[in-house]
Amino acid sequence: MTEDIEDFVGRVRAFLDEHASRRETDAVGVWGQGKDHTGYFTDDPSDVEKAKVDAARAWQRTRYENGFGWITGPAEFGGNGLTTTHDLMYDLIESEYDVPDTGVLSLIGLGMIGPTILAHAREDIKQRYLPAMYSGEVIACQLFSEPAAGSDLAGVQTKAVRDGDIWRVNGQKVWTSVAQHSQIGMALCRTDPDQPKHKGITAFLVDMSAPGVDVRPLRQMSGGAEFNEVFLTDVEVPDDHRLGEVDGGWAVGMTTLMNERASVSGESDGPVTRAQKPEFLGGLLRATGHQSDAAARAKLGALVADLTAAKYMGTQSLRRMKAGSQPGPEASVGKLRWAQNLTRIAHLATDLVGPKAMADTGEWGTYSWNELLLSSPAFRILGGTEEIMKNILGERVLGLPKEPSSDSRTPFNELRRSGNPS
Amino acid sequence: MSTPAISHAGAHELDDLRSSVRALLATASDHEAVRAALDTEAGYDTALWNRLAQELGVHALAIPEQSGGVGFGLTELGVAFGELGRAVVPGPYFSSIALAANALLASGDVDAQDTHLPGIASGETVATLAVIEDAGNWQTDGFSTSASPNGSNWSLTGRKLLVTDGADADLLLVAAQTPAGPSLFAVTADAAGLTRTALITLDITRAVATIEFDTTPATLIGAEGSASGILDDVLVRATTLLAGEQVGGARACLELSVDYARERVQFGRAIGSFQAIKHKCADMFAAIEVADAAAREAARALDGFEDSPEPAVAAAVAHAVCSDAFMFVAAETIQVHGGIGFTWEHPAHLYFRRAKSSQLLFGGPAVYHERVLTAHGI
Repeated sequence: MTEDIEDFVGRVRAFLDEHASRRETDAVGVWGQGKDHTGYFTDDPSDVEKAKVDAARAWQRTRYENGFGWITGPAEFGGNGLTTTHDLMYDLIESEYDVPDTGVLSLIGLGMIGPTILAHAREDIKQRYLPAMYSGEVIACQLFSEPAAGSDLAGVQTKAVRDGDIWRVNGQKVWTSVAQHSQIGMALCRTDPDQPKHKGITAFLVDMSAPGVDVRPLRQMSGGAEFNEVFLTDVEVPDDHRLGEVDGGWAVGMTTLMNERASVSGESDGPVTRAQKPEFLGGLLRATGHQSDAAARAKLGALVADLTAAKYMGTQSLRRMKAGSQPGPEASVGKLRWAQNLTRIAHLATDLVGPKAMADTGEWGTYSWNELLLSSPAFRILGGTEEIMKNILGERVLGLPKEPSSDSRTPFNELRRSGNPS
Repeated sequence: MSTPAISHAGAHELDDLRSSVRALLATASDHEAVRAALDTEAGYDTALWNRLAQELGVHALAIPEQSGGVGFGLTELGVAFGELGRAVVPGPYFSSIALAANALLASGDVDAQDTHLPGIASGETVATLAVIEDAGNWQTDGFSTSASPNGSNWSLTGRKLLVTDGADADLLLVAAQTPAGPSLFAVTADAAGLTRTALITLDITRAVATIEFDTTPATLIGAEGSASGILDDVLVRATTLLAGEQVGGARACLELSVDYARERVQFGRAIGSFQAIKHKCADMFAAIEVADAAAREAARALDGFEDSPEPAVAAAVAHAVCSDAFMFVAAETIQVHGGIGFTWEHPAHLYFRRAKSSQLLFGGPAVYHERVLTAHGI
């Protein structure tokens, strides 16, 4: 019998009341108050970043010890055996409390890689890693994207060659979030280049401390370095760390990505959330002297309408999830709109600020909009580019035919690749 | 407002309502039937009007039970308007059920409700609301149409523009100025001193008239000087129903586009396999999903559901987002179709015309975007 939702909610509140305090939310959205930040990407000094990771691990440990570490997971691997609705309710309630942000563990590792290990790893590997991950000890990253395999993930070139009980891995991964904090990484590798691209891939769990794993920070255009490049040189991976069948890695990777879509469109509390609040944007309009500027008002009115409607869409999706149904195509629409709306905010805000957005005069709420501006190109790329999201909507939701192509039937080593024209 | 508590249909009932209206319209009002109806003297299918009113009770959905209605809210009526919009049905549905009925409800005038609502609910009475004057915009005060006492009654003098279904309505609700302020009046079709002129319209499925009043006998509705509040209320409710209708129209356009993109072959491929077309369709879908959410949320808010946004905010947002979305989708539909979409025979222009006309009905983008800011206190 699954625990009654109301009983569960009571248990969650009792736990949080004991271990955390309520979040102060009154000032969120008030123009001129709070930290002068608008950015999506953070640029913390390494000691601050390390303290945040430690706090995240400690909070995850507390959740785990109190029965909330892996709400939907099976008991034999440290989970609590409840439903996604329970999980959702936990997140909703916890968002009312002031607790450490555990994104470094949860977004990739607990949200995406944990479920993949559960579905595809050997029993002893599940025992070894799953309790360690959900208790905050092990952080996992996703070694998927490569310089020549972005939207076309099935084009990965990192090679894994079998040598008895081990696999030797060589290649380069890129855009790897949290690799610098991770103990393990899930890698998609080419194991049979003579097969068509989807059929020659195998998935592995890589020990990030193994010889030959080199994590280098990748500085993005916004100035900070939140992502990494990961170079893999003769890295030895035991065969028992393989996920799924040899050459069956595409399906394993899909398990991982299916768990991504739900989490990316989720809204976290922070400067980007505040930047989307109508009252905050209204404050900007007044502060920049555009309160009676008809052209500015028309643009802001259209933007606020779209922001509010997008919020309603999220509210309705949440209501359906609370009632037990899984997210539908609106998850992709939500991501598209989130990226487009934030981009519009970034440009409208800097346009309203005017020349003071060119240099940091120290005035609150002026130069800081550049954080959002310089983050904004990424919104339409990360978590599935705008073009890929539109293909998904067009093909899977509307039933339009796929683009004809031969690359899914041709042996991988005969395909034309970037930088390697044939 | 003296509207009694409303009841709500469950999810299954809403689905049943949607599918029964859709089924009737699919057989009785396909695009060919719409064209045929436009060529009749009435300009719409009066038999369909009666069937929707009497067989399905569409007109009565959001009218309280004691006035001959079903007693549901805008959530339920919005579903019916979605289907009417989807099939781009001509006829005075919006004028009578969305504008006039809501004006009577907002007036709090029980006598007027008892007199007029049962007829609107049964479909016997076609009613409309006359607000706009020479300025060409929806307004709630400062009318140049004036009303003066005439014995126990009133008489109206002035001119109203852009009155939807104004030439043929049995009952006109008219906003006019008295010394006490803007007030609402009822004028019957047979009243003396009434001149009604049907106009050529952009949206050929929605009739529009100019109405002149020359000491025309009229009955006061609600308190003298109370029309501003009534009209504010009507605007919020009518634009929410219009939003439902706009989403329905946009969905029909997307279906036409997707069906065509799957069948039409050029360069040896279905054109829907080209990303240029596929992404247009995805953009249309995204716009509709957001608009649909806004329209539903506004109806929910006005129906007083728990966990709803401020009704004035939700209605302003829905009107803006659904107006923009329908116009965008209707325009892109023609582009997906190419040349065939530009022909008179193709239904795309019916939606295109409806989309622009609906977008402008209550003032247009400049007005509705400003209204969104005002509702948010900006």
